[in-house]
Amino acid sequence: MTHNWKQSTEWRAIKAFLKFFFITLLASAMFVPFIWMICTAFKPANEVEMLNFIPHAAKTENFSLVLRLIPDSLSGKFLNIHLFKWIFNSIFVASWVTVLQVTTSSLAAFAFSRIKWKFRNQIFMMYLATMMIPGMILTIPKFQIMVSMNLVNTYTGLILPAAFSAFGTFMLRQFMLGIPLSYDEAAEIDGASWLQIYLDIILPLTKPGLITLAIFTFLGNYRNLMWPLITIKDEALKTVPVGLLSLQGSYQSQTELLMAATMICIIPLIIMFIIMQKKLVRGINLGGGVKE
Amino acid sequence: MRLWEGRREKRDFFAAMGFLLPNLIGFLAFTAGPVLLSLYMSFTNWSLKKSIPLKWIGFRNYTDLFSDGDFWFYFYNTGYFMLGIPLAVGGSLFLANILVDSMRIKVDKTRSRLALITAVVGFLNCAFFIVAGWNDAALFVGIVFLAAFFGVLFGTTTYRTMFYIPSFASGVATMILWMQIFNPEQGLLNNLLYYIVPVGTQLPEWLISTDNLLGFLPLPAHFNSSGFGFGAREAILIMGFWMGIGGNNMILYIASISNIPDSLYEAADIDGAGGFAKFWHITVPSVAATTFFISIMSIIGGLQGGFQMAKIMTNGGPTGTTTTLAYYIFTEGFDELRLGFASSVSWVLFLIVFGATMIQWKYGNKQSEA
Repeated sequence: MTHNWKQSTEWRAIKAFLKFFFITLLASAMFVPFIWMICTAFKPANEVEMLNFIPHAAKTENFSLVLRLIPDSLSGKFLNIHLFKWIFNSIFVASWVTVLQVTTSSLAAFAFSRIKWKFRNQIFMMYLATMMIPGMILTIPKFQIMVSMNLVNTYTGLILPAAFSAFGTFMLRQFMLGIPLSYDEAAEIDGASWLQIYLDIILPLTKPGLITLAIFTFLGNYRNLMWPLITIKDEALKTVPVGLLSLQGSYQSQTELLMAATMICIIPLIIMFIIMQKKLVRGINLGGGVKE
Repeated sequence: MRLWEGRREKRDFFAAMGFLLPNLIGFLAFTAGPVLLSLYMSFTNWSLKKSIPLKWIGFRNYTDLFSDGDFWFYFYNTGYFMLGIPLAVGGSLFLANILVDSMRIKVDKTRSRLALITAVVGFLNCAFFIVAGWNDAALFVGIVFLAAFFGVLFGTTTYRTMFYIPSFASGVATMILWMQIFNPEQGLLNNLLYYIVPVGTQLPEWLISTDNLLGFLPLPAHFNSSGFGFGAREAILIMGFWMGIGGNNMILYIASISNIPDSLYEAADIDGAGGFAKFWHITVPSVAATTFFISIMSIIGGLQGGFQMAKIMTNGGPTGTTTTLAYYIFTEGFDELRLGFASSVSWVLFLIVFGATMIQWKYGNKQSEA
């Protein structure tokens, strides 16, 4: 009896409804601060400190101001904001870092997970260990290395240090460990080299891991503040977070302008996320090179 | 010492080096170098003040560190915040398990009908609240129905995006909002609690209170841990949970669950396993490698964490109860400009994290050695 009931369409529909209901409420609750951000972007300056979400006197001037469509009413000058240039710089840097980091990390992760060699675990432990030093304390030595390599205030100086990551290596290693070793062995019997095993078997099977790392790396570098803040002096090379910070400083932290600018700057991130996350679905693992 | 025995191992060793080299070169240059430099500097009086010449001072930073007692206080604070980690990781796995399926209703007709109903009901609700003059209530109801509407139309994509956006949208904006939520008089939270708790109960003062849930422990006086209840630490724990649950860990678990072969679940279906049994006996063991990764990164992140919150929300207060080791390193290194001392704090922290990771490694990494 119970078995039949659990298989019935009604029970499934109720379950699906409850799931929808629960997840909708939770997602909405998580979304509230973001809504607050949007609301603040439409607020006049005197309402920013108030607790109401919907502005009493909503206005779109904040957006026009940060997009330099209209001049500031007090000084009559356009704000010193270059959103599109900042967004371009951020996308440019983040894309390069993502491509390089996913490549180098997946190669290293392959060596740490699929091939057996002496001192493998010791060298891997060394990788892990470097993550345990607070990054803050490493910024100044890192900066000095950049100075000696003449890379301060360049795109390369932003991209290169971020292109090699212990985090990415560790993460992909964990994904690769989940793939049965018998796949490699079968391929080897067929005469495949390590490079072929990497390209034809491991990479397709780690796709969710690669996509996840790409999401993390892109987002993390798009909004990384500390490193660009230290190394970039040139106005033309500023990335989004550095630009937004200067906005906060030079206009006496006008929160409503900051929120309007932030909203415009995260649009590329949202689009990127929506496209990438679509690839994270069940059952893609056997769609690649291996069929049983 | 031989790195390989025989031709096979030799081939494998060189292959491994080939795969590792691109990463290793950059790693040695940009990570290992600075790490060693900071170790050296922790034995000096390195200062950002130009007037103080660099001098080797041996273990003085380390003896200072352990004698002034602040270190252990801040270490305790850091540990306190880490108590929330297991809950947040569990929450992420739970969410990921729901959000891994597409949730999109397959039948076009049902889907469009449901979407239409949601939209109409939502619109009517909103209209009611606007007419009644409760704009913010209309906004919240509107969000819920909009989420449901898009959820019906696009399935999981909607929810994944809604959960994930807040974690990258704007750290500062989020924290300013939570400061308002935790405001003892006007804040959203206490105004809600007011209706829930019995009349006359003292409501928590959140960010300005040193009360905490471990306030009953007999701790040294300079830990400022007096009073049992909800205070600044709990406020930050609540916010951290809210931020952590839908963030990177959720995405990692989604990726990891989506990598589990369908055949495992199909086999369980044949055996007549229920939803929970499948989750517990298939999903949880299958994502063990990811859980291992997340727990190591959480320990590393947790022991180095709490910097932004302390900087923006509390300045480490009240009376130091939300100062974590990361914030301590920041204030010593970049406010007091004592980088040598800050380096030594970092290295003591390193030893602690390293020890914790080794224990984790021993018990959590069994699968990796297969």
